[in-house]
Amino acid sequence: MSLAHLNGGQQLAVKYYIVAVVLFVAQILFGLLSGIQYLEPDFLQGLLNFNITRTVHINAMIVWMLYGFIGSVYWLLEEESETEIVGLKLGNLGFWVLTSAVTVVVLVFLFIQTGPGDDFTRWFINEGREYIEAPRWADIGIVICMLIFFYNVAATFSKGKWSGIAGVLTLDLVALAGIYLAGMFYTTNISVDQYWWWWVIHLWVEATWEVLVGCLMAWGLMKTLGVSRKIVTTWLYIEVALMFGSGILGIGHHYFWIGTPEYWFSIGGLFSALEPVPLVAMVVHAVYDSGVRHSKGNNNPALAWLIAHAFGNFFGAGVWGFMHTLPQINLFTHGTQWSASHGHLAFFGAYATIIIAMFYIAAQYVRGQSSFGPATLGSGWKWKWALGLLNLGVVGMTVALLISGYEQSFIERAVGGSTWMGYFAAQIHPWFIQGMEWRMVFGLVTTAGIVLLVWDLLTIGKSRVVEQSRVTQTVS
Amino acid sequence: MSSNIPWWSSETFWKKTAIWVTGFMFLVLIALTVDTLPQISVGSERVPAYSVINKHISYEFNDERNFQVPVIGGDDPLFGKMLSEEEAEALVTHGKKITQGRNCMGCHTLLGNGSYFAPDLTKAWLDPAWSSEGEREQMMIDFLMHPQDNARSFGSGRTMPDLNISEEEARAVIAFLKWMSSIDTNGFPYSFTVIDKEG
Amino acid sequence: MIEPVELKDFFIVFFSGAMIIMSGALYALLFAWSRLQSKPWMMATAYGSYGILFISVLTLGSAAHLNGFWWWLVIAMLVGYLLAPHGIWKLCVGTHTADENAYPPVSAEETDNSETSLKSNSQKEAI
Ligand code: HEM
Ligand code: HEM
Ligand SMILES: [Fe+2]
Repeated sequence: MSLAHLNGGQQLAVKYYIVAVVLFVAQILFGLLSGIQYLEPDFLQGLLNFNITRTVHINAMIVWMLYGFIGSVYWLLEEESETEIVGLKLGNLGFWVLTSAVTVVVLVFLFIQTGPGDDFTRWFINEGREYIEAPRWADIGIVICMLIFFYNVAATFSKGKWSGIAGVLTLDLVALAGIYLAGMFYTTNISVDQYWWWWVIHLWVEATWEVLVGCLMAWGLMKTLGVSRKIVTTWLYIEVALMFGSGILGIGHHYFWIGTPEYWFSIGGLFSALEPVPLVAMVVHAVYDSGVRHSKGNNNPALAWLIAHAFGNFFGAGVWGFMHTLPQINLFTHGTQWSASHGHLAFFGAYATIIIAMFYIAAQYVRGQSSFGPATLGSGWKWKWALGLLNLGVVGMTVALLISGYEQSFIERAVGGSTWMGYFAAQIHPWFIQGMEWRMVFGLVTTAGIVLLVWDLLTIGKSRVVEQSRVTQTVS
Repeated sequence: MSSNIPWWSSETFWKKTAIWVTGFMFLVLIALTVDTLPQISVGSERVPAYSVINKHISYEFNDERNFQVPVIGGDDPLFGKMLSEEEAEALVTHGKKITQGRNCMGCHTLLGNGSYFAPDLTKAWLDPAWSSEGEREQMMIDFLMHPQDNARSFGSGRTMPDLNISEEEARAVIAFLKWMSSIDTNGFPYSFTVIDKEG
Repeated sequence: MIEPVELKDFFIVFFSGAMIIMSGALYALLFAWSRLQSKPWMMATAYGSYGILFISVLTLGSAAHLNGFWWWLVIAMLVGYLLAPHGIWKLCVGTHTADENAYPPVSAEETDNSETSLKSNSQKEAI
């Protein structure tokens, strides 16, 4: 694969994208293992216990999405700033340091797994807090790599040109990195622990990540649909206002039951009920745009995944989020398969989709194609089936988990009094087990989708280049 | 040219709005954090001091608040030994660190957050699965040290893996669990059945 | 102060919750579509969706015991969702007219440029 025709930032982006895809595959594989352990509890027990397979599953997800974001920003950096990237060498160094750190963390998760209850374990093996299990040394490494990344972005925009998108993006990255610090300390007080832990998790996915993909979407609409800069910038500001206006205090929906005072009921209920509003506004605006200027996109797979993003974000975060966000019902759904159902649809729908769209935008340039339409892709069955299978798989898993979660909130929480016995009464209920079985079925559909996706990304638009070059050779 | 852009849809208006809204919401969150943190500091009404493990803890319905709340009773020292505030803190801290080092949250939820493969541990200390208050401490030690031999998974076949927890570690974890059960969680978990006093 | 949902009402709460967001979006969509394509009859379906939303909000309100302070949430949803599509539409029109007067043909040119530069790149590589 020759990358010489890409600009420096784009070459760096391709590296990040490749690792992102590898980790995405790892995420799915470990998701399958965790899912199997629900049905066959003895499977790998003693070797890779559920807590290990699950930790790798969700950490691979967080890390591949971060790689996807970093790659996407590097991808658009030189075009948006209209100048060359400032620290290409430094950026490369950052990439290799981060990737080595991630590799070591994963190997330690898999082979050392756990440790005694001392500070060494937390610094070098496992921190034992969901999503941010990475040991402290890796946290520090991640922060340093993020600083390099941030320097590259801010310095390149400063040297070249600041735009509205550039400004929002840069400030958002400061917030995103700053919030991570809130998870980097130890306290025995588990209420305080979880108070700050939610700053990382919630303020990432429901505030800073949303704005980051808002920037990507703004840029993508400009590039793929030709919407003017002024419009996308204004809408980006509108989105920031609505998103942060609802999402920052929406964090209250995690402060109902962790020891925090009762006034969080009202704050969390009210503001998180507002969180779907920006998502509705975005869908409407997208329809307006495509109605006003008839879309003449030149990258069909990317466009399809951007549409999947708009819908996925709306359903996963907006609809699924709202259904369990009021304390009156969250009391029963909190910490059940309900949360897992929402988590799957939201992370896939809001974030996996748009990063995949960015992969396809990159693939078009890497393969040197003027467009990714029927002319160059032929029937395009691979990307179409990958799109269909991945979305069907995740939606199927989401519905299966929803049914299990519904049953669990009933049997364990409402009837069983939430005790140990109530918990297991729910776990052996036929609805629950069938939900878990269907989750596996759709997990396999998802897996088929990812196999096709990887195959497609490796091959899409290639053959035509070969043909073209043959043609040019004979001509010359 | 720009004269026909209504002010409420201009780029500058929304830029300013975005900045002010974000700044304002963030300041409110900071203010609420400043108000909340003292209310959940150890030794507060909602999050009792670590020495609460010297006391009897139960979970009773409160008519005024319309849900169950932890009730701290008379002396009931854990493993029969009264601890000073410092000793209690050291023991609970060790227990919490063990739960992180063994990645308990990879299977269980604590205060409802974590994974859904195994029961919630928020009120594990009060769970009727430990037969009765008299037998509880020994049963918990046995279970944590040898979870495979003492499995109680009610027909699901799902058992806790052996995490090489020593007796001394088990005691620390139990201290942490007992302390956690005293936190006022606004009635979560709901309609919880509390362990019997006698078997 | 909250009053938890009763067991028999779980399904109603989930269902009406989902319906609120979906009919809210449908209302906004049909509203925009109707204006965009100047099809007034579609506006009736838009307000039909709002009608569904109205019923869903009240259903959720009674099943989740949204009384006292929580009644304000019900009011906010009823009024907010009614007005939001108007606001969103106004913003769409406002931002777009502003742009079209300023510099209409921009986008087409930009895309064309990038396409040609890409073509030349791929050819360079091929040769
Ligand atoms: C793209 C955006 C979002 C993502 C990726 C996301 C993801 C998640 C995940 C993974 C969890 C489970 C956390 C855990 O492991 O304990 C969660 C919990 C939750 N989310 Fe979201 N979410 C998003 C947006 C929203 C929105 C917009 C709402 C509300 C309208 C919402 C409401 C909730 C609630 C109430 C919980 C707590 C569940 C519980 O009590 O167990 N989420 N979210
Ligand atoms: C083959 C496909 C997959 C399978 C079989 C699978 C299985 C699982 C399992 C068993 C868990 C643990 C839930 C628990 O604690 O009980 C889990 C958690 C999770 N998975 Fe997946 N997964 C798959 C794909 C995905 C995808 C594609 C995404 C998102 C892009 C995703 C995101 C998550 C998240 C966010 C959690 C944590 C949920 C929470 O804590 O509430 N998974 N998954
Ligand atoms: Fe949240």
